Amino acid sequence: MKKMIAFVVAGIVLVFGFVVWNINIEASEYNQGRDIYENKCQICHGVKGDGNGPAGVALSPKPVDFTSPKFWQQKNVDKLITDTVEKGHGMMPSFDLKPGDIKDIIDYLAHTFRPKS
Amino acid sequence: MIYKNLRGITALLGIIGLLTLLALENAKAVPSFARQTGMSCNVCHTAFPELTPFGRHFKLTGYAISKSDKPYEFPPPLAGMLQLSFAHTNKAQPRGSVDDNWATHATSSDNNIFNLPQQASIFYGGKIYDHIGGLVQGTVDGASNTLFLDNTDLRYANNTTVAGKNLIYGLTINNNPTVQDVWNTTPAWGFPYAASSVAPTPAAGTVIDGGLGQQVGGIGAYAYWNNLIYGEVAVYRTAKNGITEPLGAGTTTDTVVHGAVPYWRLALQHQQGKHSLELGTYGLYAKISPEGSTSGPTDKFTDIAFDAQYQYIGKSNLFSFHSTWIHEDQDWDGSFDLGNTAKKSGHLNTFKIHGHYTYRSPIGDFGGSAGFFSTTGNKDILLYAPDPVDGSRTGSPNSNGLIFELDYQRLEITKFLSLKCSLQYTLYNKFNGSHSNYDGFGRDASDNNTLYFLLWFMF
Repeated sequence: MKKMIAFVVAGIVLVFGFVVWNINIEASEYNQGRDIYENKCQICHGVKGDGNGPAGVALSPKPVDFTSPKFWQQKNVDKLITDTVEKGHGMMPSFDLKPGDIKDIIDYLAHTFRPKS
Repeated sequence: MIYKNLRGITALLGIIGLLTLLALENAKAVPSFARQTGMSCNVCHTAFPELTPFGRHFKLTGYAISKSDKPYEFPPPLAGMLQLSFAHTNKAQPRGSVDDNWATHATSSDNNIFNLPQQASIFYGGKIYDHIGGLVQGTVDGASNTLFLDNTDLRYANNTTVAGKNLIYGLTINNNPTVQDVWNTTPAWGFPYAASSVAPTPAAGTVIDGGLGQQVGGIGAYAYWNNLIYGEVAVYRTAKNGITEPLGAGTTTDTVVHGAVPYWRLALQHQQGKHSLELGTYGLYAKISPEGSTSGPTDKFTDIAFDAQYQYIGKSNLFSFHSTWIHEDQDWDGSFDLGNTAKKSGHLNTFKIHGHYTYRSPIGDFGGSAGFFSTTGNKDILLYAPDPVDGSRTGSPNSNGLIFELDYQRLEITKFLSLKCSLQYTLYNKFNGSHSNYDGFGRDASDNNTLYFLLWFMF
């Protein structure tokens, strides 16, 4: 019986630990994505992600609006963001970021600006 | 009096130095524009100082884009620049042609000249308040041993919507026609971006091609619609006196313009993905007093120019092409009466074309350039008279040649230091009218071929 209890407790600890660890990783990825966004993207795309950053308001065409459902309805939106960051597009220059960093940005954009529906 | 001036200069330098250190303390990138926006230098520049589309946008919006939403930030956006150079000409210039001072040293053969520094500058570069910003450059020039207000461009800019598209509009106050321009085709920011200040250069040049730099001050209004059409009109007056005098601080005003000098600019730009193409025209009309006088008959110059630029900006591969053609009509009403010209009128045509490739690698940007330049015009035996090195045996202003350049650029070596190294070779086919014995004193055009090495630090 004691063995059973120990087994169950160990299992709970393991599962709980795994969940906490995973949450921490997600939080750290989210923070990483947020930091990169604030440093490299926010000046054009804005604090709210709507393309109205200090450098974005006067751009023509305007920067992408991450709060628009239309943006997220595009096919392969992750690939679209990755390609744009890596290669640049129009006024937007390319950014020399690691693939993991781009993934963190995409996660941050999706969690923060993507309309809930 | 001298002691008092020295004390003032020392105090001023001390304040500037302290403010620069404060600015560097908060440094994230370099120089002050990068610090202000939080962006890397290569967002705005391909090969420094050539601008990317975003760099043009940053300049047109008044250098005021900032990661901060405060209208003013302390410390002020200060930056510095140091240029150290070496020039080798095929044949030495006569002794005394180049000032031998604390910054300029010729070896015993007289054709190897070190310029240490060629220039040292402090910039105020960035937002001043809200929608007002500027690029103000104070320079110590080694060859001329002078301290002066260099290129200066103060702006107010804002934006609105016209016909459903964005319109950037603004005002510029500057001291060099074309310094306010955002394409690297016009003279102030055109190729070569740096050159030896001690090697011989052809005698003839149009007024708009540097002839009025720091000699005038002016104000212009501009508008840029839909990232497509740019228009600007400006008016300049002499920096010798009056309200524009501060814009020529430290520079002797020996080119005195009379009345207003109108300047215009019109450009069309089309951007498609990584490609951008610009076609434009610019020009000015100036009345200039001969021999720096402030009264009497004047010479009149009408400059009309066309320019084109193409840029491809990929992730690692960047290519740009620039070209400009300037036609100048000259009326020598003042100079002819004084016996300085043999003809009452004349003309000059200058043509420049240049291609540049940059490869961006993890250890820096490697680049190469090739350019062709040509000046042609009518002969005038008094205007272009025989003289050792600088003169013309034939009275012709015609010169042409090639420029080759290799660059290595490392932006943000540390958080506040960037470096560009350039190795440049200028090859003259014709100099002041001839290929050989062009000056009437036995000097050939190829004797002025110049090998130039530059270390350019930005911080």
